[in-house]
Amino acid sequence: MSGLYTLLTESERYSAKDALQKGLPSKQVESWKYLPSRTLNRTNWVSASHRESTGFALNGGRFANLPLCDGLSTSTHSSLNPSEIARLENIASAHGFSLAQDALNTDCLLLEVMKLAEVRIDLSRLANNASEAGFATLVIRVGEGARLLLIEQFEDVPRSQPNLDSLRILADVSRNGEMKHLRFQTANDHAQVFTEIAVDISENGHYNLHTIDFGAKLSRTDIEIRLSAEQASTKINGLAVTNGSQYHDTHLAVEHRVGDTQSAMTFRNMVDGKGEATFNGRVLIEKNAQRSATEQSVGNLLLSKKARVNPKPELEIYADDVTASHGCTVGSLNQNELFYLKSRGISETDARAFLQYAFAAKLVELIEDAEIRELVESRLLGELKHGELISELKESVHV
Amino acid sequence: MLSIRNLHARVDDKPILKGINLEISAGEIHAIMGPNGSGKSTLSSVLAGRDEYEVTNGEVIYQNQNLLELKPEERAWAGLFLSFQYPVEIPGVKNVYLLKAAVNAVREHRGLPELKAADFLKLVREKLKIMQMSESFLHRNVNEGFSGGEKKRNEILQMQLLEPTLALLDETDSGLDVDALRIVGEGINLMRAPDRSVLLVTHYQRLLDIVKPDFVHVLIDGQIKLSGDFSLAQRLEKEGYEGIEVA
Repeated sequence: MSGLYTLLTESERYSAKDALQKGLPSKQVESWKYLPSRTLNRTNWVSASHRESTGFALNGGRFANLPLCDGLSTSTHSSLNPSEIARLENIASAHGFSLAQDALNTDCLLLEVMKLAEVRIDLSRLANNASEAGFATLVIRVGEGARLLLIEQFEDVPRSQPNLDSLRILADVSRNGEMKHLRFQTANDHAQVFTEIAVDISENGHYNLHTIDFGAKLSRTDIEIRLSAEQASTKINGLAVTNGSQYHDTHLAVEHRVGDTQSAMTFRNMVDGKGEATFNGRVLIEKNAQRSATEQSVGNLLLSKKARVNPKPELEIYADDVTASHGCTVGSLNQNELFYLKSRGISETDARAFLQYAFAAKLVELIEDAEIRELVESRLLGELKHGELISELKESVHV
Repeated sequence: MLSIRNLHARVDDKPILKGINLEISAGEIHAIMGPNGSGKSTLSSVLAGRDEYEVTNGEVIYQNQNLLELKPEERAWAGLFLSFQYPVEIPGVKNVYLLKAAVNAVREHRGLPELKAADFLKLVREKLKIMQMSESFLHRNVNEGFSGGEKKRNEILQMQLLEPTLALLDETDSGLDVDALRIVGEGINLMRAPDRSVLLVTHYQRLLDIVKPDFVHVLIDGQIKLSGDFSLAQRLEKEGYEGIEVA
């Protein structure tokens, strides 16, 4: 735990001692096998500093400008219930880094969406300064029949040195409640972004996540969904566009604890340069979770010789009456499709851009919020070499 | 327009074309017929620049250029068009994007100004009407979920928009019902012009009844064994290819 050593020795929480003792997870720990932990280890991290900002923001490990709206109450960690405390402890116990997250957590905010209320929260994750590490926790309760839209965006300002932003989101979706969560990660080139999302869903509740990674040097997202009562459902869509020497990692675990629960996952990784993307999608269907349904589709597109992907879908099914499907593909651009486009006079670079866009666009189209969808799309087009042609076409051909 | 001399090509070390000679002048329609596996599709693929095929001998001169040295997109810019036997489905790319990008890429290389959106749409609507295709085809992904006949009509639609100098139509009649065959055939006839040539690759005579070729060639085992006028196609329909092989 060399990089976080000073911070951990200053922490008074008991998990700090455990974290120091355990150290960062080694390559032998399956879930950390591919994660390049060099920067995490070698940077002499200091506590993140807070700066002025507008709007609800996570900034230097602290929440600022708390959202105020009808149907939403905010309070601090002292209001957490025993179940929430137990779940946070459980998350912390996973390995050395999660213990460190727990020990170094500086702010814990509780947001409660009242019964039947409808709330939208926009959270900006601001860039920490060089060598600064911020750790925070957001606990969310979505009341009965309530609807929450949480949009998480990242500030993209240049940083010349590593900076670390870690956020744990613990959410409870009550009966008939719905939480939609959009995570649009465009952090700076040196950012190390860690996000832990743990959601428990009650009867007829729904959690929908779009997780989109473009930025950061390293982004690690852990998603744990528990479908805890009948008709609980979740839909998770992910897109990672990985370039240069970036590393994007999503670890997803969905647990069907009872029968008549549904999960659907669609992920696309597009990797260029020396980038590397890891996707681990584990679905567990417990013995008594009969009539559950799950589907998972993972597509990986490799655009250069040095690009790497590590996809791993895992299905663990103990019930005998379930509908389960999964598919995983890894490949480069389809030569037949390229030839078809080129034979129509479209240049090699434009043809490649077309096909890359097509690969990712499917995920972008699924974003319901029009404003964010356009932001994501323009970022996608900006990332493509020769994306201008498609931008022009989209603007010009509205029939 | 096009001069193919002693063309040899192979795929995966297997020789397919074994010395093709063919001259096509401006304004002519040539049909290449032949049994399965004779090399018909290989010929059109080699001409369009598909890279799985290796040319081992011979040359192809197209409008005073060495065609085989050009990349597929350069061939399109030079006025070559291939209608695919199996048009490729491209999920995620709208047909209208492909059409507009292709039209303007080709125009740019012919020194023509870019077509603005409104002019492009006017043009594409005209062509859709000819091919009896609804406007919804513009917004569907390229060939995705199209029926066999719709795919072939989409190919001819592209040909009409790109206005090639030399069109290679590879088994454009396969998979078409009688009505679609007539629409496609008439779509091709509309393109007949003194400065445009067509090479039709086909298995059957039925398309040739609508698009009357000036010359018919019989390709067997990688070589053109017999050439003639339209009556040769009629003879083949009656007698099959066996008689030719013996001769």
